[in-house]
Order: sequence, then C-alpha cells, then structure tokens
Amino acid sequence: MFACFYVPDFPVQACLLPEPAEIRRGLSQSPLAVLDGPDNLQRVFAANAAARNAGIQIGMTKLQVETYGGILLRKRSIAIEEFAQGTLADFAGTFSPRVESTCPGAVVADLAGMEKLLGPWKSAIWAMTAKAADAGFDLRIALAANPDTAFHAARGFSTSTIIPAGEEARRLAPLPVSTLPASPEMLDILESWGIPTFQSFAALPTIAIVERLGQQGLYLQQLARGEINRPLLTVEPNAEFVECFEFDDPVETLESLIFILNRLLQQLCANLIAASLATNELRLAVQLEVRQIQNGHKEEEEHKHDWKLPVPTQDKNLLLGLIRLHLEKTTFSAPIRKLTVEVIPIKPRVAQGNLFSPPSPEPERLEITLERIRGVVGISDKDGTACVGSPLLVDSHKPDSFTVEHFSSVVSLPDNCGTAPISALRVFRPALETSVELDGKKPQVVWLWHRHRRVLASSGPWSSSGHWWNSSAWAREEWDVLLQISPGVGLYRIYYDRIRRQWFVEGVFD
Amino acid sequence: MLPSLLRTEIEKKLPCAFQVYRRSLHGSIRTGIAQIDDVVQGIPLHALTEICGGNVSSGKTSVLISLLAQASRDRFCALVDAADSFDPGCGQAAGIYLPRLLWVRCGKSKVKLPPLEQAFKVADILLHSSGFGLIAVDLSSLPERVVRKVPLSSWFRFSRVIEKQSAALVFIEQEPHATSCAGLVLRVMAEPPGFSGNLVTQCNLKMEVARGWEKKPVRSERTGFSLQTQWA
Repeated sequence: MFACFYVPDFPVQACLLPEPAEIRRGLSQSPLAVLDGPDNLQRVFAANAAARNAGIQIGMTKLQVETYGGILLRKRSIAIEEFAQGTLADFAGTFSPRVESTCPGAVVADLAGMEKLLGPWKSAIWAMTAKAADAGFDLRIALAANPDTAFHAARGFSTSTIIPAGEEARRLAPLPVSTLPASPEMLDILESWGIPTFQSFAALPTIAIVERLGQQGLYLQQLARGEINRPLLTVEPNAEFVECFEFDDPVETLESLIFILNRLLQQLCANLIAASLATNELRLAVQLEVRQIQNGHKEEEEHKHDWKLPVPTQDKNLLLGLIRLHLEKTTFSAPIRKLTVEVIPIKPRVAQGNLFSPPSPEPERLEITLERIRGVVGISDKDGTACVGSPLLVDSHKPDSFTVEHFSSVVSLPDNCGTAPISALRVFRPALETSVELDGKKPQVVWLWHRHRRVLASSGPWSSSGHWWNSSAWAREEWDVLLQISPGVGLYRIYYDRIRRQWFVEGVFD
Repeated sequence: MLPSLLRTEIEKKLPCAFQVYRRSLHGSIRTGIAQIDDVVQGIPLHALTEICGGNVSSGKTSVLISLLAQASRDRFCALVDAADSFDPGCGQAAGIYLPRLLWVRCGKSKVKLPPLEQAFKVADILLHSSGFGLIAVDLSSLPERVVRKVPLSSWFRFSRVIEKQSAALVFIEQEPHATSCAGLVLRVMAEPPGFSGNLVTQCNLKMEVARGWEKKPVRSERTGFSLQTQWA
C-alpha cells in the first residue's frame, strides 16, 4: 500500500511554516495570498480557500488584490518552499523508510509491511493527519495500491481517501482529466473530444488512443485507469546538514538573529537525531546587506566562523550558546541579510561512565565555559598563541618554548606520571632588558627594578644556542644570580643574548 | 538573671542563636611537600586558601606548582595566571600533567579589561562551571596596592560558592586579603639557597600557617623545608 501526503495550497502553507503554532493557526483561517514576480509587477501565485472565497484569483496583480481589503499578502520564497518540502519528506519518513518527493507539496511513502505498526488504515490516516497538524501542515492523505493512483486521489479528492486494490479505475472515475500530468495541448485535444473525466478517458479504445495521441496518450490513459505500478524514486538521506534563512528586511538586533538561529539549529539537530548522527563541527556564515568601504579597503561582505567541538553533540542549546557568545562580541559593519548554519555530521560518541574516573568538566558545557573565558581574556596574544587552553611544550632546546592547545576534558592519565617538588621559575614575559656589570666574566651588579643590585652569588655561564641555520637563530649564556633585594635576597635567572648583545632577566625562582 | 539562664531562655526561642558556624571538612588535596602536608593535612576542598609570600623568591610558586602536580593526577585543574608568569617547562618537570591543566593567561590580548578584573571574572566563570578539582588564581605578580582594593564582598562570595563544590580555590598573593573568608592561609618565606660548587642545588624555605581550617586564628605553626632545583 502507498500513501500520498498532499498539501493543498502548498506555497501558502509553506510561507506560514516558520511562524509559531498559535500565529500559524490564526493566519491559516484568514484570507492569504502569496505574490511572486518582479517587485514592480507582482502577481498572485497562490491563495488559500478563504482568499479564493473572497474573490482572489491566481494571476491577479498586487494592486487588484489590495482593492479587496483584508487580504494578507506574503512574498513567495523558494528557500522556504524547499525547507517545507524537506520537512514534509521528513514527516513522511517517520512512517516509512521509503519516501518519494513527487512534486512540491506532495510526497509518496511505501507503507508495505507497516500494517501492524500503524493499525487499521482508517485510524492510521486519522493519526497521520493529527501529527501533520502538529508539524504545521493541513494534509490530504490517500492510500492506494500504486503510487500514481494515491497521488491522483490525494490531489483530486477534497478529503482523505482509501482505494482498495482492483478498484482504482472505478474510484478515480469522477476526477477531471486536468488532474493528469498532461501538456496543455493534450488537454485541449481531450476537451475538444468531449472527454471531461478519468472515466470517459479510460473507456476509449486503447489502439485508437495510441494512433491519435501516441505513447504519451497511452500512458495517460493507464494513469486514468490506475494501472501503472512503478517503483518509488526514494529520497536519499541528505548528506549535507545546512540550514539558511534570508531576511525580508535586514536585521540589526541580536534578539532577531537568535530567534531565527534557534529555529535553524532546532531543525539541524532534529535532522541529526533522525539520522542517528551528531556533530563536532559547526559553521556559521553571516551575509551582510552592503559592502562598505573604510580607509580605502573593502570590507568582507560575508562573516564566517567555525567551531570545533572535542566531542560530538546533538544538543541545540550548546550550539546556540556558542553562536550567541560569538555574536555578542562581534560587531558587524552592516545589517545582516542572510544566515547560513552548517553542521558536519559524524557518528555520535558511545561512552560509558566510569565510576573510578575523576570528576571532570562536562564536555558539552566546557565549550561554553571556554568561550566565555575567551570573551573575558581574549583569544590570542600578539604572537598568535592562544590565551586559553592546555600548555604543550614544543620540541626545542629554546627556553620558554610552548604552545597552548585546545583544552579538553576527554584525556586519560598516563601510567608513568610521577611528581617531585622542585623550585619553580616565575617567568617574565617578555624578558626584562637589563644591564650587568661584570667582574672578569662573572656578573657583579645587575640593574633591576630601577636600582643596582649587588650579586651575592652566581652560577654559570650555561651556554645554549639553536636555529643557527635560519633567521630565528638564538644563542645565550644563562646565569643564576642571588641578588640583594630589600628585604632579603632573590634568586634570579639572567641571560646574555649573544645575537642581540643584550642582557635580560628571564625570571625569578619563587 | 544569670547569664547561663539567660542563654537557656534565648536558646529555647532561637535554637541556633549560639551555634558556632563550622565549615564542613570533606577531604583535601596534598601539596606534595611532606612538611606542609604534615602541618595542615593538605589544601582543603570546599574552602578558599591563600598562599602568600613576598614578591621575590619566597617559594609560593613552588608550592603552587607542587600542588598542581599532585592535583592533576586525579583531578582537572585550572590556573588563572593574572600576569602570565607560569613556566610550562618547569610545571612538567614538577610532574603537572599538562593536558589536565586549563591555563588562562590574562592581560595578553587586546582586551581593555585590567588583568586583575580578568582574573576575578574568569575565576567566577570557572566556579560556576563545575568539574574542576582545583582552581588556582595567581595574583602575586600584580602590585599589592591593586590587589588590596578588591572588596571583601568578592572574597566572601567566592568562599560561599566554593563551599558547595568539591573543589579547592587557591589564591597566590603577596599578602593575604580574604581575611575570615579564607579557610587556610599559608605564608611562605625564603632563606638563602644552597650552592654545590658552582651550581644552585636547593632552595631553602620556611612556611607559617597564618590561619587554619577553623574560623578563628590558630596558633602560628612554622616549619622549614628545602626544594631541589630542576637540574640538581
């Protein structure tokens, strides 16, 4: 058995889909028309039943519609219609894994083997219609033994229909031939013959039809008899998880953006969950209204930002929190016209909690925490080293060589991790320039904190060098010196940079 | 009326009127320095601790590094470095498991906020995101006159927040500032280092407990210890 889910006045229902449920219910009862075409000559592309009852016809100009008064007007959006068609296919996918996106506003699902799951067909239709209303669609559903019969029944009849196998021709008989997917020329020929319905078209002799209308005519007659049984062209699961939204009027406030981002992320996470996937990479693209020129340089029209998460997630709130924190500290040069959000799908994390593992920051929540901290201290210093993260030593003999990596709470302790208390060095970054008086080769007096400090004891010199083969060469002579500091003494590390020919204080042992 | 009778009468109406407030003592983190651990039994969880010392060679950083090394074995740690003075090489040599250390370097980017405010804001964020077993805030490189201006209400708020968490909050400063908000105050002082020939081999330090786990000030306890240098 095949089920066709048909959305009457699809462009009208599609443009109401992004609205909240309460507003959508109210608007669906009001006369509403969808306009399409260039701005200076917009015409009615679709209208709901209330608008048609009020006298609105397809093809009317905007000016003509406005003379009626009380008609709500919306501009057609292809992106929203595509989104609605995807949502409709996803909805059908909750009843069957084999779904065909037949045409805009109609999908056909193969319900073979689903009888026990869905129950009697009559109650199944009722349940499907109720679920569709929750999803934002006012549907007509038809069940038939082949996809085309189900499609024509859903499209042609005003109520939901069940057509048992073998009764296709009889049940489709009253439908007008204009329901068939025929060319306008073919429909004109049928009209000139006085063929108004499926029944009269199906009753014509087959050979005579082929002689006069060719194979196309034969195909249409078989459709009218409900005899064509073709395989479904099933919708392949979308490998890309991208949602975008284009504003009618560019927006400047964060609240408006967050409202739309919340909906986009909700849809993306729902798609991820439906596909049993998660994401560890989030991409945001913000398209601005105009390209501005400042200081003779053109600014980018598009702002992009990527997030890489340490663990896969399906949590909408986490993703929304990351975007919100980023947008709060970003200033755009122009109003925002379009938002695109993409998540890169990967398999979800399968991890079992360990009673003996140490308490650790929740990986999902940790990302928000790190983003907040970056908002306070900044992202990186002037050398490009991150300000927040885990320190990682660089494989180099050069002192104070390190990078800062992304901090993750998913790490395990190595077995050979021993500790031994040692005297620690407190580093001055950058190192303090100083001058040193020498007694022979040993430092005698060091200029520090605006005073000359006498060296009580010294240890050195300890020479090291590296990278002499390229431009980042370094060579130094280190001394550990005990300086007379009021009050008490201080053990400092000083070094002589042999390339810059300058003394520096690197740090203090503390 | 006798004071004891008066007290009994009041306690009948207000049972908690004369109850002494005591912090809950649930575990501690060893510092890894035996002499300190023997005296204070480690750095307390659920409490604010101050490790103080003069601005040169007092040994406070060595105590911090040793504490981080011990804590990173079975906890995730955070170091809020107000003056970006932590040496990762020294930390690794002391045994800190660096992947478990979140290092926040304040005052290094173009953000206009002063380093002290950055450090306090970050500490606040970390306190509200549970999961870290040790949060250390190093303020010792900042001028004393700046740290002294931190209002007491900030210390009080930190002490009340950390009380509910299974974590230790440690401040490294030149002088103690949290007063009664601190559960433990350690003061570290330096003595002349030991040389072995031409080589500095050990730093000699003294430690004093300025405030114990109890609310009221305790009898000052002192102990001396030595730490070897990285190359000794």
